[in-house]
Amino acid sequence: MPNKYTILIVEDEKNICTFLSALLETNGYRAIVAHSCREGKMLYSSYTPDLVVLDLGLPDMDGAELLKSIRENELTPVLVLSARGEEGEKVRLLDMGANDYITKPFGPAELLARVRSALRAHRHAAEEGHFPGGVFCLDDLTIDYDARRVFIAEREVKFTQTEYNILALLSEHAGKMMTYSAIIKAIWHEPTGDTSIKKLQVNMANIRKKFGTPIGTKGYIVNELGVGYRMRSDME
Amino acid sequence: MSKKCKYYFTNIGISLGILTLVFGVSVILQEVFSMGESITMLFVFGVFLISALTEGYLFGILSAFFSVFAVNFAFTFPYFSFNFTIPENLVSALVMIAISLMTSTLTTRLKAWQTLKVEGEKERMRANLLRAVSHDLRTPLTGICGSSTLMLEAEGELTDEQKRAMLTGIREDAEWLTRLVENLLSVTRLDGEHVKLYKTLTALDELIDSTVQKFNRRYPDAPLSVLLPDDVLLIPMDALLIEQVLLNLLENAICHASGMKSLVLSVVAKDGVATFSIEDDGCGIDEEKIERILQGSTLSFGEGADMQNRHAGIGLSVCATIVRVHGARIFATNLDTGGARFAFDLRIEDTENAE
Repeated sequence: MPNKYTILIVEDEKNICTFLSALLETNGYRAIVAHSCREGKMLYSSYTPDLVVLDLGLPDMDGAELLKSIRENELTPVLVLSARGEEGEKVRLLDMGANDYITKPFGPAELLARVRSALRAHRHAAEEGHFPGGVFCLDDLTIDYDARRVFIAEREVKFTQTEYNILALLSEHAGKMMTYSAIIKAIWHEPTGDTSIKKLQVNMANIRKKFGTPIGTKGYIVNELGVGYRMRSDME
Repeated sequence: MSKKCKYYFTNIGISLGILTLVFGVSVILQEVFSMGESITMLFVFGVFLISALTEGYLFGILSAFFSVFAVNFAFTFPYFSFNFTIPENLVSALVMIAISLMTSTLTTRLKAWQTLKVEGEKERMRANLLRAVSHDLRTPLTGICGSSTLMLEAEGELTDEQKRAMLTGIREDAEWLTRLVENLLSVTRLDGEHVKLYKTLTALDELIDSTVQKFNRRYPDAPLSVLLPDDVLLIPMDALLIEQVLLNLLENAICHASGMKSLVLSVVAKDGVATFSIEDDGCGIDEEKIERILQGSTLSFGEGADMQNRHAGIGLSVCATIVRVHGARIFATNLDTGGARFAFDLRIEDTENAE
C-alpha cells in the first residue's frame, strides 16, 4: 500500500508500545515508536508524522512539553493516553491543543476509531480551512454554515442562536475533544465557572433533545463526563 | 502555623463570646431585675459551656478563673473589690474550677474515643479489603501467567481451539482485574483523611448516557431500560464516582439476580432531590447480608467459586462509600413483585436562572 499514514507513538511502557505498533501496522498505518519525550521530539522532526499518540507520565519530561513544541508551528493531531485519576491533567492538555484523549485500559477498536477520527478531521481542516461548500455532513446530520440551518435526514431542526453556535463550533472541530472552558470561551467570551458550565449544560441538553438520540446510544456528539464534548467526524 | 493559629483563634473566640454574653446578662440581671443571687449559677453554666465547646483544658480553666474574679469583683458583696475571705465566694470559686476541669476531661476523652473508633473502623475495612483483594488477585493472575507461558512454550502442540480458549481466558481475567482496580482506586481515593471529591455540576442525561454506553459495551444483551425525567437536571457530584456506583449496581444485578428478565435504571426528581434506583426482577437479595455490606461492617467473599461472586462484596462496599461521601446512603430492599431495588438520593441544583 503506498502512502501510509505515519503515526508516532510516544510511550515508555514496552508492552504497550508493542501492542500499539502491532495494532496500527496491521491496520495499514506506519508506526514509529519513541520511548521518551526527547526521543519523541527527535523522531517528530525527522519523520513529520501525521498523528502523535502521546502517553502522559513519561520518564524524562512532561508530555506537555512535547505537545507544546509540536503546537509551536504545527497542527498535527495529538491523541493523549491517560490513566484514570489524571482528570485534571487531561483537561490541561486538551486546553493546550491536544485533539483527543483515551483512557487506559482501552480496546483496539476504541483506539483505532479515535485515530481515524482525528486523522479525518485534520485532513478536512488542512484541505479547505473549513468543510467543503460551507456544509458539514455527518451521517444523517447536515449543517449549512451559510444559511445557519441544521438538518437531520433532510428535515430541518430548529435551534436557538446559542445552540446553533455551539453546534457550529463543535462541528468545525469535529473529531477534537472540546473542553468546557474552550467552548464557554468561544461562545460566551467569559471565564469558566459554575454558572457558565450550567448554561452550557442546559444548552447541550436541549441540543441532545432536539437530536432525539436515545440515551445510551451513539449520537453525533460524544460527552465525556467532567471534561467536554466531541462531535464525531464519522460515525466510527 | 496556620492550623495552630486557627486553633487559638476559634477557641479564644468561643471563650470570649460566651464570657461576654454571660457578663452582659449578669449586668442586666443585677441592674435591671436585681437578681444578683443567680449570677454565680450563670457563670458556672458559662464555664461549663466553654469547657465543653473548646479543645483541651486551657480555655475552660482560664475562663473559670476569670469567672471567679468577675463574680467576686463585680457581682458579690463587697462590690468592686476582691474579697476571698467570705466562705461563699471561696466555695463558688472551687466549684467553678472543678466543673471546668471535669467537663474538659470528659469532652477530651469523648473526642479521643470517637477518633479511635473511626480510625479503628477504617483500619478494619482496609484490612478486610486488602485480604479480599490479594486473594482475588491471585486467581486471574494465575490464569493469565499460566496461559501465556504455555502458549509461548508449547505453541506448536496446541490446537487453534485451545489457543483461542486460552486467549479468551486471558482477556476475561484482564477485564476483571481492570474492574477490580477501578474500584480499588475509588476506595483509596476516598479512604484517606482528606476525601478528594471532584464535585462538579453534572447534567443527569449526560451521566446516564455515559453510564449506559459503558454498560452496553460490557453487557450488550442485558435487558436494560432507562427512565428519566423530562426536565434538564443538574446535580453537583463527582461524576466519575457516581458513574461507577451505577455501573457496579447494574453489574451486581447482572451477576446476582438470577432469572432476571428486566433491569430498570430510573431517576425521579422530587422536592430538590433526585432518587436514583436500579430495579431487577430476579431472585431478590438477602436484605440483612446486603445491609451489612453496605454498612461496611463486613465484606463477603469467597462464597461462590466464580469470580463475580467474590467481586460483589467490593463493588457494593465501594458504592456505599461513594454515596456516603456524597452525604447520602444506599437502600437495598426486596420488591413485593420479586426482585431487588437499590436506591440512593442526591440533591439537585436548581436550573431556573440558567440562560
